[in-house]
Formats: sequence, structure tokens, C-alpha cells
Amino acid sequence: MADDGNDFVRSMSIATSGLRAQAGRMRVISENIANADSTAQTAGGDPYRRKIPTFTSELDRTLDAKVVALGRVATDPTAFRIKHDPGNPAADAAGDVKYPNVNSLVEMTDMRDAQRSYEANLNIISATRRMVQRTLDILKS
Amino acid sequence: MSINDLPVLSALRTKMQWHQERQRVLSENVANSDTPNFKPHDLVEPQFDKTGASAGPTGALAMMRTSTSHIAAAGAGGQTFDPDHKEKFQTRPAGNSVNLEDQMLKASANQMDYAAVTSLYSKSLHLLKTAIGKA
Repeated sequence: MADDGNDFVRSMSIATSGLRAQAGRMRVISENIANADSTAQTAGGDPYRRKIPTFTSELDRTLDAKVVALGRVATDPTAFRIKHDPGNPAADAAGDVKYPNVNSLVEMTDMRDAQRSYEANLNIISATRRMVQRTLDILKS
Repeated sequence: MSINDLPVLSALRTKMQWHQERQRVLSENVANSDTPNFKPHDLVEPQFDKTGASAGPTGALAMMRTSTSHIAAAGAGGQTFDPDHKEKFQTRPAGNSVNLEDQMLKASANQMDYAAVTSLYSKSLHLLKTAIGKA
């Protein structure tokens, strides 16, 4: 093998790319939750539209391995929630207010999933670290 | 005869390299556990014959680089062990078939096997030290 011992470093770099991608996903989810009730600035305008994080697998040439990266952040095209509230400054002529198409239950589920994937990547890093430690222990004996 | 020629040690070293490479493959799987259309990979365990030389399906031919300025072969480049295609498939709607529990199990098994191999390696070195009367 050309790059002795480099595989461990690569394993940890790949897992780090996973951590970074999941952290980016958490950022998008928290943006959605924070804006769950953000209505439009102008009367009758469109409120905050839910964002969806996407993942892409790309080849890292320096690592020569498939790392994961946060791809384009897409927007959710589903319909907004409409509430009748004529007193609201964002209400249109009919007195309807558009609320964001964010479902906090869906966001919570998504957040749990992100957390689980993050933990899995952390597990890989600590397992790899223990393996490196075992290699170094050969020297000590 | 150098220490590298001992069949026991070279077999153990091959096994250690296999575990290293497998760890990389597993971390790739876990990192891509949410990527659409990603299929997990694994490596075939190396088989050893009586002399300690690796026999069986290991040692796939690597693409040769005729010039140092060439880009290394993409994808499975640098991989010296055969990929295992006998993966159980449980594909999710997004086309991703990584089972996180399965991968965690494999990673911990890989780690424990590696620990066993390294302790065998250091025990073998200890044996050599005893033979030359320094232990």
C-alpha cells in the first residue's frame, strides 16, 4: 500500500465531513423552526418558505474518498397555511394571513435524525482513534 | 532475513492493513448515511494459507500511473482489498441503503478485531525479544 497509516487519517476526515454536513443540516432546521411563524412584511405578501437541506456525495481528490457535503438548500413548494385574521398587518384584502409551510413536528423528527447521524459519525471518529492508539501501543510493549 | 520476512508478522500486517482500509470504507458509509442513491460498501476478509501468505480474492490489480503528474484513479483508487458486494439491501425511498445500526456494529467489530491483531503482533515481537535474550 502506498500510503501506510494514512487510512486512519482518511477515515477521520471522512467522518468529519459527515459531522460538518449534519451540522449544516441542523442550521437549516433551526432556521425553519425559528421562522415557523414569520409572516410577510407587506400586506398579502408571501411569508417565510420552508428550506430543505440536501446532501451530495462527492469525491475528495486529496483524500481519494467519497466525502459528503451539504448540497443546494432547496425550498419547499408546498402551500402555505392560511388563517383568517383581518387585524393582522400581513393580512390581504380578504383578511387572510399566510403562515409559513413549516410543520414543527416534521422539523423535530428531522432534527432527531440529524442528531443520530451526527452521533454515528462521532462514534466512527472515536473508534478510529482507539485503533490508532492500539497501533501506538505496539511500540510501548 | 529481516523481520519483515516472518510469515506470522507479514500475515498480521496484511490483516492490520485490511482493518485500516475497512475502517475507511465504513466511515464513508456512515458519512453518506443521508445521501440520496448511496449504496454502502464493505471489503472481503483476507484469507491466509498455511505459510501465512494471503490467498483468495485479495489484491485487486491497481491501475498503474505512468507519470507522476497524472491524477490517481478515481473511486476505488488506492484500494488493495476486494470490495464485498454481498450487502443486505434495505433501501429507503431516497435510494439510500445505509443501515446505521449495521454500520456501527461493523465498526465496533472492526475495532475489536484490530485490537486483537495488534496485541498478537506485539506478543510475536515479544517472543522474538525472548529468543534474542533481551526480554
